[in-house]
Formats: sequence, C-alpha cells, structure tokens
Amino acid sequence: MNLLPRLTITAFLLLVPTAAIRADEITGEQLYKQHCVRCHGATGEGTKKAPAPLLGDKSVPQLATVIDHTMPEDDPDKLDATESKKVALYIADAFYSPAAQARIKPPRIELSRLTVKQYRNSIADIVASYRGSPKLDDRQGLRGQYFNSRGFDGNKRLIDRIDPDVQFDFRRHPPEADQELKQRFDPHQFSIRWEGSVLAPETGLYEFVVHTDHALRLWVNDNRTALIDAWVKSGSGTEFRGSVYLLAGRAYPIKLEFSKAKQGVDDSKKMSILPPKPASIALLWKRPHRVDEVIPARHLSPVNMPEVCVVEAPFPPDDRSLGWERGTAVTREWEAATTDGAIEAANYVISRLPELAGAADGAKDRDSKLKEFCRKFTERAFRRSLSDDEKRFYIDRQFEGAEPNMAVKRVVLLTLKSPRFLYPDSPGLSAEQAIAARLAIALWDSLPDTELLAAANAGKLSNPEELTRQATRMLANPRAQAKLREFLLTWLKVDQNPDLSKDAEKFPGFDPALAADLRTSLELFLDEMVSGPNADLRQLLLADDLYVNTRLANFYGITLPADTPVHTAKVFGLAIPLEVGFTKVAFEPERRAGVLTHPYILSALAYNAESSPIHRGVFTARGLLGVTIRPPQEAFTPLPAELHPNLTTRDRVTLQTKPMACAGCHTVMNPLGFALENFDAVGRYREKENSKPIDASGRYETRAGEVAQFASGRELAKFLATSPEVHAAFTERLFQHYAKQPVMAYGIDRPERLLKSFSENGYNIRRLVVDAAVIAALKPPN
Amino acid sequence: MPRTRREFVRDLGVSAAAMPFVLNLPSLGFANQQKRKQRIIFIFSPNGTVPKAFWPSEEGAKFTLKEILSPLEPFKDQVLTLHGVSDRIRGDGDGHMRGIGCLLTGIELYPGNVQGGSDTPAGWAKGISIDQEIRNVLQKDPATKTRFGSLEFGVMVPDRADTWTRWSYSGANKPITPIDDPYQMFNKLYGRAKDREALASVLDELGEDLKRVGGAVSAADKKLLDEHATFVREMEKELKEAKAAVGHPVPALEPGVRRDNDNIPKITKAQIDLLVNGFAADFNRVASLQFTNSVGMARMKWLGVNEGHHELSHEPDSNEKAQEKLIKINKWFCEQIAYLTKRLAETPEPGGNGNLLDNTLIVWTNELGQGNSHTMDNIPFVLIGGGLDFKMGRSLKYKKAPHNRLLLSLAHGFGHHIEQFGNPSYCAAGPLSNLV
Repeated sequence: MNLLPRLTITAFLLLVPTAAIRADEITGEQLYKQHCVRCHGATGEGTKKAPAPLLGDKSVPQLATVIDHTMPEDDPDKLDATESKKVALYIADAFYSPAAQARIKPPRIELSRLTVKQYRNSIADIVASYRGSPKLDDRQGLRGQYFNSRGFDGNKRLIDRIDPDVQFDFRRHPPEADQELKQRFDPHQFSIRWEGSVLAPETGLYEFVVHTDHALRLWVNDNRTALIDAWVKSGSGTEFRGSVYLLAGRAYPIKLEFSKAKQGVDDSKKMSILPPKPASIALLWKRPHRVDEVIPARHLSPVNMPEVCVVEAPFPPDDRSLGWERGTAVTREWEAATTDGAIEAANYVISRLPELAGAADGAKDRDSKLKEFCRKFTERAFRRSLSDDEKRFYIDRQFEGAEPNMAVKRVVLLTLKSPRFLYPDSPGLSAEQAIAARLAIALWDSLPDTELLAAANAGKLSNPEELTRQATRMLANPRAQAKLREFLLTWLKVDQNPDLSKDAEKFPGFDPALAADLRTSLELFLDEMVSGPNADLRQLLLADDLYVNTRLANFYGITLPADTPVHTAKVFGLAIPLEVGFTKVAFEPERRAGVLTHPYILSALAYNAESSPIHRGVFTARGLLGVTIRPPQEAFTPLPAELHPNLTTRDRVTLQTKPMACAGCHTVMNPLGFALENFDAVGRYREKENSKPIDASGRYETRAGEVAQFASGRELAKFLATSPEVHAAFTERLFQHYAKQPVMAYGIDRPERLLKSFSENGYNIRRLVVDAAVIAALKPPN
Repeated sequence: MPRTRREFVRDLGVSAAAMPFVLNLPSLGFANQQKRKQRIIFIFSPNGTVPKAFWPSEEGAKFTLKEILSPLEPFKDQVLTLHGVSDRIRGDGDGHMRGIGCLLTGIELYPGNVQGGSDTPAGWAKGISIDQEIRNVLQKDPATKTRFGSLEFGVMVPDRADTWTRWSYSGANKPITPIDDPYQMFNKLYGRAKDREALASVLDELGEDLKRVGGAVSAADKKLLDEHATFVREMEKELKEAKAAVGHPVPALEPGVRRDNDNIPKITKAQIDLLVNGFAADFNRVASLQFTNSVGMARMKWLGVNEGHHELSHEPDSNEKAQEKLIKINKWFCEQIAYLTKRLAETPEPGGNGNLLDNTLIVWTNELGQGNSHTMDNIPFVLIGGGLDFKMGRSLKYKKAPHNRLLLSLAHGFGHHIEQFGNPSYCAAGPLSNLV
C-alpha cells in the first residue's frame, strides 16, 4: 500500500506522452479493448479479476469522471479526461446503460401467477361478490346503544349515538349523558353494544384487546363466533385478547358488547345498601408491528359491513429481488400453499353456503341454486364467463354422483387450483377481459368488479379515455389507497417496519409506543399528501407539516396550539397508552422539509444512539435519486463513537470510508447523508455534537454533470424535490410496483415518456398511478 | 373462528410427512402395541337422581340394581356404585353452578357475574378438571400421546357459555366448549380426510386444465406452467399413496338430524357411536359426554314425559307422579350408558387383547345428589368398565367422603400419583379407600 502513490507517479511519467499522441484518432471502443477488456471482459460481463458486470445508471459525464479518476485500477492516470469520456460514451452505449441493456436483452412481460396479496384479495372478492357492498360514509366511530339492563332489552334502550372510540371510565356512575337521561340508568347494571366496522390499514395479524372489569363479548369479521367471549365475568382478569388476520384497505364487521352487573354480592338481600361497582371499558388493537392503542376513530365506521373471507393459509413470501413482489416463479411450497388456501376457502364457503348461495338446507331448488352459485364462483375467479363446454367441465361434472356440499367443494377446489384463476392474465380471456383483469390486478391486487367487467364486455376498455375513467374510479377505493400508501412506504424503504429501538439512556421516552406514534404520524402525512387533488411529489419532499399527538409533542418539544383536542387516558387504572389524537403542526419549518426530515425516517436511518450519514446517504442516493450503489465488498462495523470521543459522526464516517475501495461509492453517498447531520438518532434538531459545531454541508454531482451543494437538510430536500433524477426514479419504481414487470418491457422509451407526462401533470402521484395502471392494462404485444 | 381455521390449515400441509397424522395411519395411530391403552369417559346427566330408585340397598359384591340402574344388568360385574361421596366445595355460585363447575375440578368458582335464582353470582371454576389433567399426563408421554388427547361431546348443550353449561376446564377460568353437534364432531375427526377426498376427485380435471392453458401460452411462459404441473402431479402421487394406507373405515352418520329436543335420542346415539369410533381409532383416550347442562331442561316426550327435567326435579318426594317421571328420565340416561357400555364391550381392542370396555372406565355422575333438596351429598357416581383396574361388581358406601378423593383415585388409576387435586383441604385422606 505504501508503494502505490510512488508507482503511480512513475507510470504517469513514462506513459503520458504516447497516450497523448494518439488521443485524437483512437475510438472509445479501441480504448476499452486496450485498457479495460482484460478485467471487465469484451462486453463488460466481468472476469475473475473484476467479476461485477459493468451495468449501471451513471450518466456519461459521471462515468467519465469515475474512469478518469480510478481506471485502469493499476494506473488511473493512464487515461486523460477526453479518453475517459470516449470510453464512457462507448460502454454506456454498448452495454452499460439501462437502455443498452434493454436493447441487448429486451425485457419481456413474463407470465405471472398471483402474488400472495393478490391471491388473498381475489378470494376475498369472489366471496364478497355474493354479499351486499354497503358504502362507507364520512362518519367515524362506532354506533353505541346503551341499555338500562344487563341484557339488551330493546325497550330499555336509552341512548343510541356514535362514539368516536371506546374508552370509558364510568366509575360508579351511569354512562355519561345529559342529567335527565343519566338518572334513568340503574348504576348497578347497564349494558352497551357498539357496532359498525373496523378498517384495516395494512395486511397482517391484528390483535384486538378489550380492557374491562365487567362482562364483554367481541366479534371481529365473524358474526357467528365471538373472537373474545368473556360474557362470564370470572375472577379478577381485566385484559382480554384475540387475534384475527385482516387484509389492507377493507372494512370488517365489529361488534362489542359490554354488560355491567353485580358481582360477588348477595343481591337478593344486600344489594340496595351496597354502592355500585366501578366499571370501565376500552377497545384497543395491536396492529402488526405496533403497540396496543385504543382503536382511533379514523379506523372505525358506524356502517355495518359484511364479513370478508380472509384466507389465512401461510404462503411462502413472493420474490422481491427486483424491488417489487412478483409471481414469475412457482415453487413446491407455493403450490402446496395454494392447496391449503383452496381447502380453507372451500370450507369457508361450505360453512356459509345457505347465506352465500341463498339455498337453504333441504330447499327444493337447492341443487339448481348451488349450481348457479358455483357457475358464478368460477366465472368470477376466471374473470370471464364460461362457455357451455366449460360449464360442463368445471361445474356439472363435479355434481355427478356427489352430495351437494361435496360437489360445491369440488368446484371451489378445481377453480381455485386452476391456472385460469392463479394466472390472472392467462389465455382464454378476450382482449377486453384481459385489459380488465390487468387493470384490477394493478390497482387492487384483485379481480375486476362488476362495473369494470361490464365495461369490458361492452367493448369499452380499448378506448383509452374510458380505461382512464375506470382507473380513476378504482383509485378512489380504500383498497387502492391502501396500496398507494404501501407503495410510498416501500419507496421510503420502511415497508418492512424497521426496528426503531433507541438507547434508553440517551433518549429517555423514546419507547415502542413513541416509535408507533411516529409511524402513525408518517402515515397520516403520506395519506394527506396523496389524497388531495394535487398529490404533488414535490410537496411530499417539501411540506412543513408534521402530525403529532401530545406524546410526540412532548418528546420533540413542540408546543401544541391551545385549541388542540386533548385526549388523555380516560380509562381508570389502566397502564396502557390510550391516547389517539393527532393534530397537524408546522414543525421547525426553517430547518425541515417533507418526508426526508420526518423524525420517523431520520430515526430509521440511524443507529440506536448515533446518527448514520451512510444510511441516510444510501437512502437518498439509492432510494430517492435512483443511483445504483452496490453493497460494500465486505461487512464493516462502524467505528464506535466512544473510541473517538473527539470526533463528530461526520469525522468518523470520513475517516472510515477514506480507503480507495470505499471512496468510489462513499464519495457519492456520504455528502448526501452529511446534509442531514443536524438531526440526531431520533430525528431531533441539534447544532452541536460532542460540543463541536455540526457541519451539515453536502454535495451531489448530478447525472447531467452539475454539482449541487447544500448546507442543511432543508436545502437537500429542496434540491431533491426539483431533481429530474428523483422524479425519474420515483416514476420507474411506482410503475414497477403496480405493473410488477420491468418498465422497459413496455418500450425502451417508456421511462422517458412516463416521466414526461408525470412532469406535465404537475408531478401528480395519483395521475401517475392511473397512467401506470392503464399502461400495464393495455400491455404491448409480446 | 379464524384462528382455528389458520391452525387447522397449517397442520394440513400436503407433505408426505404430515400424512400419517392427517389420516391417522397405523404407523402413528397404533404406535405403541406393548402397553395397555387405558381410557376414561366422564358422563354428565343433570338435576340429581331419585335416591330410592338408584342406590343399591346392599353393600359389597352381592347387591341388586334398582330401577334406574337396571339397564346395566348385563354388565353388573363391571359396575361399581359409590354411595356417600360428597361434593364439599362451597363458595360463590348457586348449587347448580357449583354442582357442575366443581364436579370435575374439585375447586371453588371465581367471583363473577353469573347470577342464579339465589345465592351469590359467580364466574368459572378456579382450576383444571380431572379429565383434562389426565389428558395432559397422557399427551406428555409419546407412548400415550394421541391426535386429540381428549374429545368433549355434548347432547343439546344450550348455545350459551356460562357456569351452568361447562364442566370440563383446561385450567382456571378456561372452560372447554363441548361439541354437541355430531356433524361438527365428525368434521373434527374426519374433515381432513374429506378435504383430501374432494381434492383427489378433481385432479384429473386439474391436470387437463393445466395442459390446455399450457398449450396456449408462448414457449417462454410454458416453462413456468410445466413446473407448476409437475408440482400438481407430485401432490397427486402423495394423495394416492396416502389413500392406499388409510387406517379404518369412516363411520356413516344419519344425515339431516337437526339439533333439537326431540332428536336427543338420535343425537345421543350418533355421539356415542363417534365416541366409540374415536377410541377404536385411538384419536383420544379421554372423553366426556355432557347431557344438556346443570338445570337441564330436556323434555323427554319420547318417554311420555312432557315436563322439563329441571322443573320436575324440584317436585317434593311426596309427588309420586313426578318421582315416577324422574325415575323414567334417569333410567333413560342409564340406557344410553348401557348402550355405550355394550358398544365398548362389542368392539375388540385394536392391536390388543379383549375389548374396549376392558380398558375403559366410564364415570357417570351428576351435579346434585337430589334435585328437590339441591344436596351435594351422595353425588350419583357410577363407574363401569375395567380401565383403571378398580375391583368392579360392587356397591360401596362411604360417609361424606369429599369427591376430591375420588378425583385423586382416577388420577392414580392412570399412574399419576398426585397428592392433591382441586381444593387441598379435601385431599388429606388421599384417594378413596377400597377401590382397587
């Protein structure tokens, strides 16, 4: 290592003159063959010496700079700037750039099976199509009916209202109501029924939790069997839990019954002289990766929704190696899981057959109704109608010699195991039906609904305007909104729920509950940003707003406006976080901007005690700017802060990434991360670290060859908001998330065209989703 | 319930390894042929008995079965009556609640909100019941572990969970819901086999479907479908292999028996048949069968009794008509037990010697000694069968022996030598004397 600088200088002295002479005539290709082939191979495929293939997304000027500075490795000065540029131009065009790659090996739209999400959603929608679909309205909370009896005697109902959430401490009193009403309650015994629906923001296992010192029953997405049955109050337990798997963006029926009664006293004699027992109740949930919280009003609706058929059979996860979930491979485990899923769905259907098929056991027309039920089931699953031959094959044949339930079971199994269901774009669909199938997959991860199918069957979908109209309509559905949020979380690299535990000594108060609040705060922000008419990507990166509740406000030192609704723990004696109220504030607008400086993102991109400019830089470069950064050649442990008490984080990072092997990438990402150094490991603003002033200056060399400089996180965010690289990377990611196919499979110029319309539409994310879904639905001929 | 469904499906993987379990193949079902398979059945009937027509007058091996127990005459040498065993547990809850809730648990009820017509309200029992205790012991040992361990049957148990309707507890505050629908029990026992049968029956069509779709896609995409088809064929092969190895015939149930009072005899027969079948298949070695509930209201119209059982049970001894009807009712319960006994006696012990009755103990009991007095003295305990090596064919009489001692005897009969069960203050004298 010590010898290297000297050797380089010697080589420079010897070789420069000859190279200079031929610089004018020699082509980039010749230069490449002369200097690069031995390590990189004739078409950049790599050799033993430099195994990584030469592919990437650096622009020609960027590539030229890298070559000029670092290549050939044994003698970086062998090529001058002009020659480096020639090599850069040559390799970019011949094989390096994405466009060149697409030309050499044109990406293809591959036949795909349903992803796990698509599988579960499709089955839910087949079954849902037999049930009513009431519309949710703007009302939030649950309908609460209060009865002056321990049962639910209709004539003793005194209150019928909407409660935003369920967290009540009645103490020894009747339910809260106006004085006259209150007096009509017997404080010894009364009962309350809350009902409506609960909206699942994400897919996963939810735990429902009820805290009460009296009797309760809770039903969630199963109106027959209670999830929690503690109608017998027994002993001193006050916490009751039950789990249920829910799919994102759907509303599920929920009903909670509470009954206060006398306990442990001999009522017949002594009741009149004993004071009423205390009573309280709270309805909480634990969302996947979260902590217990009172179910907030925004996730509750007083509208009664039908049950949803949720198949819970475990599936192997889908391939995400390209950055989006795709179904272009089948495995034995997946095939086995589809069997389990089909059996589960079949048993669900059988257990609810009278309701779904409208065929009562023993009814005369039961068989014909069941056949009709089965025909619809298969047609919905196949996204089209069946011919007479097919009807005989999939339906009639299954009824031969089988008792009716068995026949239905066979049809369901055959249908859900059929490639016509499992491959949403499989042959057999008309051109229009295929468009509908692809559009529904793109926007809902599911099947076309009746309206879309009708448009397809009427031949309207080949009309781009009608197709766009349908896509716009479908985007308004809560499922599409859940999917859009899921995409944004993927774009922000937090879809896998990073662990946000922090050093308890350094950051007292930063506990799992606070981390969950931050996540909620981020999701509220994202929801707001994309639900408005503008849905402007730039605003996502620039807006000053932060959603906070009192816990977050206290931790981040935010003074809430005086009129902020305060939600304090209302339930007596419960050591659980109950607070649900979030409010929007402008948070340090002079220092922060948009998602990048959201404390959740900053905390996720940090160690448990220190900030991490590298993580933040990689996220900004790779995640936002779309720069390809390969992982380091070996794993490194960051230099421990306590061993370098006199260095700032910036100093330590600079020290550790100085070696040549690191610098190639770190010169790109470190300066991006440094711009966020004013924010510590929990995203709080700081001006000093180890009593040294923070240096938050950073830079980025754009693909156009310009150098952007910024001195703070806010300046970095401003740069990113207007960067065409960010816009392009976002466009491409979004498209691939929705289409689940490589964007260039839809034309080598597709990224460029998509970007152009995105910019013409004011960077409107919702319009971009519609565009992407329409393109995916139309699908160019293979 | 979603959770159950998930667990159910998880158990159900198509892998060949899971197959013997799913179908209860001989390889696992009859894993241990050396050791004798001990079994126990607890049977509950409600509202006390009619002592004068129930308890034999004599003590010892020479005794006469009175009217109520007369259906057991053919098996008299296998019968043991235990007069003088008392449920001494007190505390919260009315007599019927404590009667059923403390019967197998031997421990008090928690304070709670279930309010009877008198006394204090109460919740669930504070401890595990003896059937579940024995089940856990058997399930812990690989030599005695079975697919279910125990099965809880019921007949017309009201569709509400409260202290009067539960007698089996997997732990404190954890009552077990008996399955009183034979079809539901059938699905629990044989549902998986039915699923596979349905799956196997559509495989030809599925193969054809895959072929057709595969033929209509591009060569590049066909590769994916070919792989898919390979996995389907593998599944088919596994299903066929499993089918060739199925253990025992699946019982046939009379279809369409609705769950209502008048069908009690049919439901009872179906449940008993399933119970015997489960033992023969070694699905479980512990079972319970609960007729209605404490305060049970069966109207045995098929006996010419139109009143509800519970209201009759409150009639005083002087009401002879009522007493006659109560004798009829209790005799009917005994007939069902005699049918069960007969079925067990007729069924050879699979892979062993003798018959199922030789290795099974039936424990028939009740929440009260007598309905009109609500006494918990002289709880009707009748034991039948050779499962626990008790000396059968006798009428035994004790003096207010706490029933916890009998529960201990049952545990000891399975080689589970615990010193206490339920409330320890009733266990000091140890298992009942003179049983073995």
